[in-house]
Amino acid sequence: MAQTRERPKPVLHPDFCKGCGRCIESCPKHCIEAGTEIDGATGLIPVQLRLDSCNGCSLCLEACPEPYGLDHESPEPRSSEPPHIPGTENLVAIAAKRRVAETIPDVRVPMPALRPLVVKGTYASAIGALLAGCRHFFGYPITPSTDGAELMAKLLPELEGHFVQAVSEVATINHMYGTGGAGLRCMTFTSSPGFSLMLEGLSYMIGAEIPGVVVDVMRAGPGLGNIGPEQGDIKIACRGPGHGTTQTLVYAPATPQEMLDLTMLAFDKAFEYRNPVLVACDGYLGQITGRVDLPSYMVKPGLPDWAVWGDAAHRPNLHTSILLNEADQEAHNVKLLAKYAQMIDREQRADLYETDDADVLIVAANTPARTAKGAVAVLRKQGIKAGLFRPITLWPFPIRALAPVLPRMKAVVVVEASNGQLEDELRLALSHADLHAPPPITNVRHYGGIMPQMNEIVACARAAHEATPSRRTRETEAEAAARVLS
Amino acid sequence: MSVFYERFDRHDHGQGLKAHATHYCPGCGHGLVHKYLGEAIQSLGLQDRTVLVSPVGCTVFMYYYMDVGNTQAAHGRAPAVAVGHKLANPNSIVISYQGDGDLASIGLAEIFHAANMGLPITVIFVNNAIYGMTGGQMAPTTPMGLKTATSPGGRGRYDGSPMRMAELIAQLDAPVYVERVALYDAKQRVKAHKAITKGLKLQEERRGFSFIEVLAECPTHLKLTPAAAEQWVKDKMVPLFPLGVIKDISPEPWPEQPEPCFDAARVADVIGGATGEAQKFARGFAETGFGADVAIKLAGAGGDGAQTTALLLARAAIQEGFDATHIPSYGPESRGGTSYADVHVAASEVLSPAAPHPHVLVAFNAPSLAKFGPTVVPGGVVVYDKTVIAEPPPLPHVKVFAVPFAQIAQELGAIVVKNVVALGALQAATGLLPKESLLQAVRQALEHKPQFLALNEQAFERGVQAVEALKRAEIH
Ligand code: SF4
Ligand code: SF4
Ligand code: SF4
Repeated sequence: MAQTRERPKPVLHPDFCKGCGRCIESCPKHCIEAGTEIDGATGLIPVQLRLDSCNGCSLCLEACPEPYGLDHESPEPRSSEPPHIPGTENLVAIAAKRRVAETIPDVRVPMPALRPLVVKGTYASAIGALLAGCRHFFGYPITPSTDGAELMAKLLPELEGHFVQAVSEVATINHMYGTGGAGLRCMTFTSSPGFSLMLEGLSYMIGAEIPGVVVDVMRAGPGLGNIGPEQGDIKIACRGPGHGTTQTLVYAPATPQEMLDLTMLAFDKAFEYRNPVLVACDGYLGQITGRVDLPSYMVKPGLPDWAVWGDAAHRPNLHTSILLNEADQEAHNVKLLAKYAQMIDREQRADLYETDDADVLIVAANTPARTAKGAVAVLRKQGIKAGLFRPITLWPFPIRALAPVLPRMKAVVVVEASNGQLEDELRLALSHADLHAPPPITNVRHYGGIMPQMNEIVACARAAHEATPSRRTRETEAEAAARVLS
Repeated sequence: MSVFYERFDRHDHGQGLKAHATHYCPGCGHGLVHKYLGEAIQSLGLQDRTVLVSPVGCTVFMYYYMDVGNTQAAHGRAPAVAVGHKLANPNSIVISYQGDGDLASIGLAEIFHAANMGLPITVIFVNNAIYGMTGGQMAPTTPMGLKTATSPGGRGRYDGSPMRMAELIAQLDAPVYVERVALYDAKQRVKAHKAITKGLKLQEERRGFSFIEVLAECPTHLKLTPAAAEQWVKDKMVPLFPLGVIKDISPEPWPEQPEPCFDAARVADVIGGATGEAQKFARGFAETGFGADVAIKLAGAGGDGAQTTALLLARAAIQEGFDATHIPSYGPESRGGTSYADVHVAASEVLSPAAPHPHVLVAFNAPSLAKFGPTVVPGGVVVYDKTVIAEPPPLPHVKVFAVPFAQIAQELGAIVVKNVVALGALQAATGLLPKESLLQAVRQALEHKPQFLALNEQAFERGVQAVEALKRAEIH
């Protein structure tokens, strides 16, 4: 004997009914009516059910936009019980609390001993990325960074990785938001105009704490500029790429070897800090071929506990950068700032060349630093004790390595292929370190695709050396202060 | 309904009513779409695998409600983020949810690219003909004549006309399923529910990209009651945006994606790393008279092979354990105009890789010789192609070797090897690296083209001989 099981009838939770009335017209049995009484808790007027003729067809449930407005379930009301999440915690904290995944750690896999490669800068960086465990590349062709992307297009399929030519740099950085958000190592190569387009996405990545590596092969600007080398992106890279409280580590390689080494390092740091990392090189370095020694290991990445991966363990995770409550947003900013402070504390890197006895200090990064190294050798032959200070991190500026050598210097010469963007970083770092009386700073600058030349650096350093009285006769900071006060 | 969180803790810390009620206005279509999506995920058993990409707009906070992996994307970028997730974990079920301002305006590039790629993801496009969150502005889907905050006189001639996204997406080859549904009555709701379920099912089966456009009500900005808004969608939107299946093909599933490779030997091979020591031939850094960091410039027309010669030189030097660099001239001039390469070979470290004042110049044509000859340091070496340079400029400050690169190459039957003739000449003229070093580099470069090896070796040898003959002639 067939028995028709009685279908459950709907239950209304008046607190969660918005009185929209969509359920009313949906009921073929006219069981639902517009309400007349304002609900004290919501200020809205919930509908009223008269289920005498209800056949449990569920059509009203299909019509209710509220997850808990109409319900099949138990009749005990879901009340507005007190919150069990303290009000000062933000969403990120809530997500972290729910987290059940365990981090699968990265593994360093030993590599066979290999002969040095002879490759150009962009290739070295791409190979560094592969060795760092990056198997996802997203990019948009832009000279002079494209070589790196092309090599990735060739090699990644051989490692069952993915190369995606994105529809734009805007899409590129958002693909990275996705893959990085899933906890994997991904990267892009771009060049200045493309980098500008990525700023929006970088800000979102920073806000949502999603790692990723952007290699910017800087070219001349502003605007379309040309494809000659420049360092004109230092300002946007170091002053915060994208809107809001943004900051990333910015590495400045000077050789193909460093293109590989620093790209590898960038991946580790991106995941260590859950923040994008920039590798900023100039168009020249991208094209320079040189000797590249290979590391003794490669990385087989694990999977971080925070990944939005798409399995049970990672289900509670969330990536977002919107915190509507101002106090939450401020707290999140404070957290990011603490992270940046940690980077300033731990991540400064610099290379000092012939600075021990120097009294003229050249400051330069990327390819200009190599030219400057040549200039140091020439100056020394001419009897001028020149040295080179080369920031490897443009941000944080490695002021800690600079401060001790500075007092010995008669003059500082900043050499760069930009309108003083590196010098601004230097001056800002001096100011933050309360070093208010540095030696006189002069500079050699080019832009528009022209690099500083060695003879210019030599001439400028000579002139600075000759123009400046020795350090001993310069007024001390205290004297200067006394003079200003009197 | 368990795909919805028990409590909406993320909704304003789950305080009070917000723990169980959405933030949507009464009668808003989004809540319905959420419910159908939630039930589809539930009925297909996909909750653990789901990654939901929330957009910008009224549904920016979709992650308040859905107990799945959640990520929130920038305005218009949700499909790009979705692609990133799907490629990262092909086993995840990725849903990109967008409204009309987000998808059909700022995000056009991203949605078309994702659709054209065709990865198995599911896009839910909620079209309510207006910008909700920013306060009722005109959307690309707003009907002509409708008054909005940014079309106070009604959508007019300067505003374009409503975009039929489902039809546009269906034009592409890759999408497998495109349907437009509505929510205004029970029948439509059943269809909407089914369409969303089908979109997810197709993804589960790895069939491809699906796109479900939902005509939804925004009573608030239409300034209508929910019931009137339903009627408005039916009367005003449906004629503009016809309902129904626009595309439904059932292709073979996407192949299963193999795991990325992290095998060290394979990686070593792929990056071109050679094991074992390279053979060395040099006994120390050569005494060329140019010190421990020798600068060489090779210059000619594009196609002369200056860059290849430069690279061979740099490779050979590095295999000998020295440092070397090569900078090509690049950009427009490398496509046909002048092409020059700066090379440095140094005992331990190349300081400055540019060569504005080279020790050695190899010139393949007259303009290069005229331009760079005078820049060579006094006492330096110049080797040039005598075949094409009949009247060299006077260069009294350097040692000059005039070698007919092109003529020799022609005699060997292949003009393209003139740069290898030049390499041989460079070797003999400077002694910077042993012959065998350079020949080893040539052999490595021809590893996959052994048929050209003999020709290149001959070319190299002839270059060497030509310079040696010149040297002998000078002595006698
Ligand atoms: S279940 Fe069916 S009959 Fe019962 S109230 Fe709902 S719509 Fe009416
Ligand atoms: S559809 Fe839901 S929210 Fe709207 S009136 Fe009915 S029960 Fe209330
Ligand atoms: S503004 Fe419109 S789309 Fe947004 S929640 Fe309200 S009704 Fe829904």
